[in-house]
Order: sequence, then C-alpha cells, then structure tokens
Amino acid sequence: MKIVMLGGGPGGLGAAGAAQGTDKSAEIVVYTQFEDVAYSPCGIPFVHGKEIDSFDRLFLATKEQYVKSGIDVHYETTVDSINLKKKTIQVQGEGEIGYDKLIICTGWLYKELGIPGEDLDGIYRVKNIRSAMEWDKFLDNVKTAVVVECGPIAVEMVSAMVHRGIKTTLIDPNPWPMSDVVDPDIIEPVRKDWEDAGVDMRWGEKVTAIRGDKTVTHVETTFGDVQADIVILGTPKSPNNDLAKAAGIKIGSTGGIVIDSRCQTSDPDVYAAGDCAEIVHGITNLPLQGLTGSHAYAQGKVAGVNAGGGERIYQPVHVPWGMLAGKTMIGGLSFGETTATAVGMNYIVGSTTGITRARYYPGVQPITVKLLVDPSNRRLVGAQMVGAEGVKERADFLGVVSRAGLTIDALATMENVYSPAIGALNEPIQIAAADAVMKLDGKV
Amino acid sequence: MTFPQWIRTNSEHYLLCDAQDRMARSKGFNAPNKPRGLKDNIWRRVLIPVYHMMPWGLKKLVMQSIPGSHKKSWPRKNFRSK
Repeated sequence: MKIVMLGGGPGGLGAAGAAQGTDKSAEIVVYTQFEDVAYSPCGIPFVHGKEIDSFDRLFLATKEQYVKSGIDVHYETTVDSINLKKKTIQVQGEGEIGYDKLIICTGWLYKELGIPGEDLDGIYRVKNIRSAMEWDKFLDNVKTAVVVECGPIAVEMVSAMVHRGIKTTLIDPNPWPMSDVVDPDIIEPVRKDWEDAGVDMRWGEKVTAIRGDKTVTHVETTFGDVQADIVILGTPKSPNNDLAKAAGIKIGSTGGIVIDSRCQTSDPDVYAAGDCAEIVHGITNLPLQGLTGSHAYAQGKVAGVNAGGGERIYQPVHVPWGMLAGKTMIGGLSFGETTATAVGMNYIVGSTTGITRARYYPGVQPITVKLLVDPSNRRLVGAQMVGAEGVKERADFLGVVSRAGLTIDALATMENVYSPAIGALNEPIQIAAADAVMKLDGKV
Repeated sequence: MTFPQWIRTNSEHYLLCDAQDRMARSKGFNAPNKPRGLKDNIWRRVLIPVYHMMPWGLKKLVMQSIPGSHKKSWPRKNFRSK
C-alpha cells in the first residue's frame, strides 16, 4: 500500500505519522514545495518580535528523524496535477507517480488584494520559515512598515513591529482588529496598546495600490500615500486547493474541499485535512474553513488512520481559540456577540471581569469573560475573553463544555480551584455563568 | 467562484458589516463604513434586513441549503459513559 501526502504542514505530517502507525508496511511519501517540514510557522511573528531568540527553536524534528522513521519526504517538489482515474499524481522532476491512497493537505494562501503592485519585492506574506529568516535580516534595516488588513497573523506582526521599534501603519477596511471573529470590547485593550505605542491605525480605509520601482517604496490608500519599506499582508486565509479543484474533487461553499467525518473527499481514495478542507461546526452544523494548526494536525491524524485502513472519525468543531497580542491575551469559543448577531442567533450574554489569582498574590491580572447562551436550551454557544493570563485554559475548558452540551447551569454551579498563586476564590467563568442564569431566569 | 461560494462570501461579508454596525452603536466603538454603490446598498439595505426578518428556523434552513461538508456524514459521538 502506498499512501501519498500532498503538503508538509501539520495536516500532512499528522497524516503521515498516523498512516504509518496504522499500516506499518505501507510506503509513506510526503511531497512539499518548501525546504522544510515539521516546524511551527505560528512562531514566526514571535521571532520577528524578539520574544523567541532564534528560528531554530521553531523546528520540531530534523530531516534525519523522518528518514529514520521511514517517512519519505520529497522537499522543494511541486506536484502539478492529480489523476483520480489512474490514481496518479504528476510530479515535477519525477514524472507520473502512483498512489493507493492520497491525502491532500495543501493548506492555505493569503487572499490577494487584487490591486496594482502586488508582485513588487518588499511584500511579506508570513508563512515559510526560510523566507522568514531572510525577512528577519531585512527587518533590521526597516524604518517604516505598512500592515494591510488585520487578521490574526497581522495582529501578531503589528505587535512584533512595535517590539522592534518600527514605525507601523495599519490599514484595514474593517472597523477594528480581527473584526470577523472578535467583539470590539474584547479587542479594545489590544487596540489601545497599539495606540499608546504609536501605531497609526486607519480603520475603514483601503490600500488601493502598492508602488515602487521593483521594491516597495510606498502605498496608495483611500486617505493618501504612506511611505513603506515593507508591506505585510494580513488578509484572510484562502484554501489552497487548485490541484483538488482541477482534479474534479468536490469543493464547498467556503472554497474548501468537501469531506466527511473520516476526512474522505468525493473520491473514495482521496482524503483531505487542514486549511484546504471545510469542517462542520458543532453548533450550527455549517461548514467552516481556515481553523488552527491543532485542528489541521488532528484532522491529518484522522485522514492518516482511515487511509491506512483504520477507522477514526473527526468530530464537528466548537473552535476554542486564543492568542497573545502584545501584552494582552484574547480568546474564546465559537460565537462572539458580533458573529452571533450576524447569523441572527438569539442569545443571552453573561459577563464579568474577575481576577486570575488571589487578589493579594503578586502578578494577579484582571480577566474579562463573556459567555453567550442559547435561551431555548440554556447551552453555551460562544465565549470571548480578554486578559493577561489564563485565557487558553479557559477556552479549552469551554470547548469541552460546549461539545458535551452542558447547560449554563452546570457552569454557574461549577467547582473551581482556589489557590492564591494560580486561582482566585471566585472563578470568572462561574460568575459570568451566574450572570447569564440570572438573566435567563428573569431575575435581572 | 461557484454560485454557492459567491452567495456565502457576500452574505458573510454583509451580515458581518451589519452586525459590526449594531455592535459599534450599542457599545460605542468605531462603526464600519456606510454602504457605497449599488451592490453595497442592495445587500445592506434590502437583503440583510429581509434575512433578519425571517424566523431562526427558516434562517437555519436557508444556511443549511448550501452545498458542503455538512451534507456528508458527521456523526456526533456520545462521550458520556453508559
């Protein structure tokens, strides 16, 4: 049995390891267009921001480890096409290669702006570690940066530019950072931090052209020209699935590959995982695309097990998420008020601002927790949080609560850890849940 | 771009604009741009208000009708012990 992975990101490598673990006699081959696999691209902004001292720390395994484990990785190799009938792929420099099972993990691309000058040098799309190493040296001489649109990577990059002392202009047609995910009150401390650090933020404005002679010198915008030694793209993720599309594999409304819970595509011998595929949301039952590396890795493992002859299913997602934006942590689960309002969902909000440790313990930090509850069944449909610590663990916990379908009453009466250095007497989630219960029961 | 992709992209964008506008007004934050041009106006002044007038059950039906992964098998595991 030969199992071929297209893509060497978390989905592809998760799939390769799981396929090998399921069928130890299978030949496992990974094709990647990049120079490396098994590194954390999510860490790149933090090396640029000097929180991490070296790109070497982002590598998780060496090329030799893959050779030793029997996973045959073809680096810097481009796959041109997939032939579903013949069960082959066309590989540059290798010709036609057969497969028994194919797993597509081709990831994502930045949505292009569709404006003049997008092919100039000096436009940075944060993704590949080797190019990030080159860009990092370039950043040493950069005085002015323009960040175009403020998705999650851009949020981290703005903070990185601030840490490096680079004069940064942020231009976004939307009204606040990550406005397709985060509520304005939750992201406000991040916006305020940037304002205090001197970031020039232009919300509701657009870059209309990128100008320069070979290399970027400035951008034209709806409010005038802005000087730029570098332009950093922060546009939304778009699924990279031209190969799948050209092969005739079914694509969904998100632009991602349609898969079932076994990660199987419209072709029974082809699987897909990660950002090139669309996944079902656990609350709305709608397809989503463009989640996190941990989702891609878990989906890859499911695809790998099934391609190897095993049986594993991936569950609909409830999307716990979190990130560090400068000094502030933000995070949540599924819906925020903005997204719930957008779909027209009926919800009640319970919220509080609590503390992360005992009030007298050094390092205690405030944390705001906002819970969204469906009044028809009293279940959690979303959460948003902002603080300086403890966001990730709470988001993970709420993810399990949502998946298990527990009611807000369970949270309002939850037990919690009280230990001065790590937890306050009152758990903010419990207080926010109690607030929601009071509203649901008409006591407020 | 296929028709379902076009519908999803546009409806998502304009539903978000409308929701951001409501959020901004209720919480006192920066609002999104006002509709500009025919397409913006049709979506934000006609189609989005019509969508919001529909009951939640009908909204769900409309959203579920788009093609995609949700039409395939996605069984929910019961993680509780028996």
